[in-house]
Amino acid sequence: MAGKTIVVTSGKGGVGKTTTVANIGTVLAKKKHSVVMLDADIGLRNLDVVMGLENRIVYNLVDIIEGKCRKEQAMLRDRKLNNLFIIPAAQTREKDAVQPEQMKELCRQLAEEFDFVIIDCPAGIERGFKNAVAGAEIAIVVTTPEVSAIRDADRVIGLLEASLLKDIHLIVNRLNYRMVKKGDMMSTEDIVNLLSVPLLGVVPESEDVVISTNRGVPLVHDRGSKAGIAFQRIAARLNGESIPFDNGYGDGFLERFKRLFRG
Amino acid sequence: MLNAIRRFFGEKASGKVAAKRMQVVLMHDRMDLTPDVLECLKNDILSVLSRYMEIDQQSIRVDLEKGKEYTALVSNVHIKRVYRRALPAQNA
Repeated sequence: MAGKTIVVTSGKGGVGKTTTVANIGTVLAKKKHSVVMLDADIGLRNLDVVMGLENRIVYNLVDIIEGKCRKEQAMLRDRKLNNLFIIPAAQTREKDAVQPEQMKELCRQLAEEFDFVIIDCPAGIERGFKNAVAGAEIAIVVTTPEVSAIRDADRVIGLLEASLLKDIHLIVNRLNYRMVKKGDMMSTEDIVNLLSVPLLGVVPESEDVVISTNRGVPLVHDRGSKAGIAFQRIAARLNGESIPFDNGYGDGFLERFKRLFRG
Repeated sequence: MLNAIRRFFGEKASGKVAAKRMQVVLMHDRMDLTPDVLECLKNDILSVLSRYMEIDQQSIRVDLEKGKEYTALVSNVHIKRVYRRALPAQNA
């Protein structure tokens, strides 16, 4: 049976697409699935640095497409998990070095070998976006609770639906629960209502993300991190496990006390 | 602190302000119909109206008017004559 092809996209840049790809891919690999992550951001590659594999690149996505190497030659194995791979993007090429049809064919081939093919989409809605989306069956739209990110996410959702990619899920990244509580940030409910796409998960704002990226080790390897736990839950849902949504307001003394009486 | 003072004087929480603003913005963005779609819509309106009245085919105009809090579809049609009975619907 063919694996799942998933594109992670957002419209706006800097909302956490690459971090999401790296963490979801790592969790699914930890669950014993074979996973390949494809960096489709040609000219601005980053998945390799986030995964700490920047020193090992020989071939890249464009080399595979142009037939300069076999796809196995361009795949980099993760440092910890031997069933997790990345295909880096080309850094010194233009986005039009790849056609949507070629991406579609590559994704189809990869899905025959891997349980999950996860595509890191570039920001924007032009050529690079169309390439990244071409071979995917499932889309994950990442947004943050800011007006600009939400507006761009809505635009991207419209384009995905127009391209007949209807299996769309939402991740709200960098939610600051303290600000939501004070009323100074849109809540997850507000965002889901606005975008009307099913929620896959919420990732709290966390310094841990910066730290793990600095080290080139995905957050989900760190058991204590709340953002890491959020990504674990997201990946589990993607894996078909039924994980309840908590309200995310944390485990303060008062919350635990209230819960005790609620039974 | 400043926020707390503002809130005290009846200003809405900024999160709710943002959600409200986005609701309007997204509606406008989504209503950005292409000329093709607008032309189809115009023809459909025309065919429905034609069952009930004779209209000046050249006069019909369909526009989207974007107000601050709403988007309205405004259509102007010159009516020549109203039929006593509606004509049967034409199945395309």
